[in-house]
Amino acid sequence: MQSNEFDGNAAFSGGGFMPSQATQTTPDRPSSASKNSDARCLLPLTVKQLVDLSRGGESDISIEGVDVNNIVLVGKVSKIDNAVSECTFRVDDGTGWVECTKWVHEHLDSVEVDAISVGMYVRVYGQLKSIHSRRTVHTFSIRPVTDYNEITNHFIECIYVHFYNTKMRGCINTQPGMTNSVSGMTAQPQVANSNFGDPGKGYSYEANQTSQYNNDEEQIRALSSMVLQYLRQPACIAFEMGVSSVVVARELNISVDKVRQTLDFLASEGLVYTTTDDYFKFTDA
Amino acid sequence: MDVSSPAAFVNGGLIRMHVGRKVRTVLQATRSDIASVIGKSTDGYQLVAKGSPPVPLTSYVEVIGVAENENTIRAELWTNFGDTFGMLFYSI
Repeated sequence: MQSNEFDGNAAFSGGGFMPSQATQTTPDRPSSASKNSDARCLLPLTVKQLVDLSRGGESDISIEGVDVNNIVLVGKVSKIDNAVSECTFRVDDGTGWVECTKWVHEHLDSVEVDAISVGMYVRVYGQLKSIHSRRTVHTFSIRPVTDYNEITNHFIECIYVHFYNTKMRGCINTQPGMTNSVSGMTAQPQVANSNFGDPGKGYSYEANQTSQYNNDEEQIRALSSMVLQYLRQPACIAFEMGVSSVVVARELNISVDKVRQTLDFLASEGLVYTTTDDYFKFTDA
Repeated sequence: MDVSSPAAFVNGGLIRMHVGRKVRTVLQATRSDIASVIGKSTDGYQLVAKGSPPVPLTSYVEVIGVAENENTIRAELWTNFGDTFGMLFYSI
């Protein structure tokens, strides 16, 4: 029903395609990007991680601050229950077991489930469901593992994603002085952005809604930290004229071009300033 | 195998820490007979897996069972991992 007055917020709230003001979660949630279905990620998980998931967030299930929706599992099938229109597999990956239900509607679905037998290693793509605190997986795809290096690869992926998520969260909450050289994880909506607002603390991270940061930005951050630490030394601060970029490059064993690029960046952030041409000094705020 | 007794991933060096408990590992079979398989673990130790190995047995086999001592596993589950497998990466 249309209201008599034109309500801009209601008109542009998305008409049901986007969350309305009433249903939006608090704006300071760092994972707001995950509400957009385009940004939902596919998480590789072990069964133990799956079972340990906490409740919270709009999708009701989250792990390490990331809303969990679609997951990948690799494990051994220990039991199969075949019903008329569905097939339930018990998948065990050595850390626990979970039931994965595949609905069989078409011939392709039956071909897929007929290929699976007990004792076989499988890869499962599905959506995590929670019924009375019991986790199950609504399976989109289940296929046999033919190259067993997939098992090792899956566990390594789980470890990597876990460290990526927890390390970034650790950087946001408790590690102001820590640098992070982890490159972008394409499966995750959470990517850190450096914040140079407080030179006294060195690095601090805040969550960013985009996921397009490349390795160049990571490199600049690492170099910026090194250059800043050098310029903050009492000996450098004592020089009234500042320190030449050539000297900084020589002392830190970095190319002059990279040092100049870094110093320009730091100057734009207000952390250093130029005294004369090509001489820089730390902003002693 | 269920949540109450998950099998720990072990190699030759770690199995001594899990004696009496459920473990899993991959062996590169060097010798096999009807009741056991002798193989090399991911870190080069020689281990023995007792039980009924699958026939035919491939070069690499995953064994899940109870560690009897630091170089023997009483296997309950066997899985042929084929003839090509990245043992080095499994060890990590």
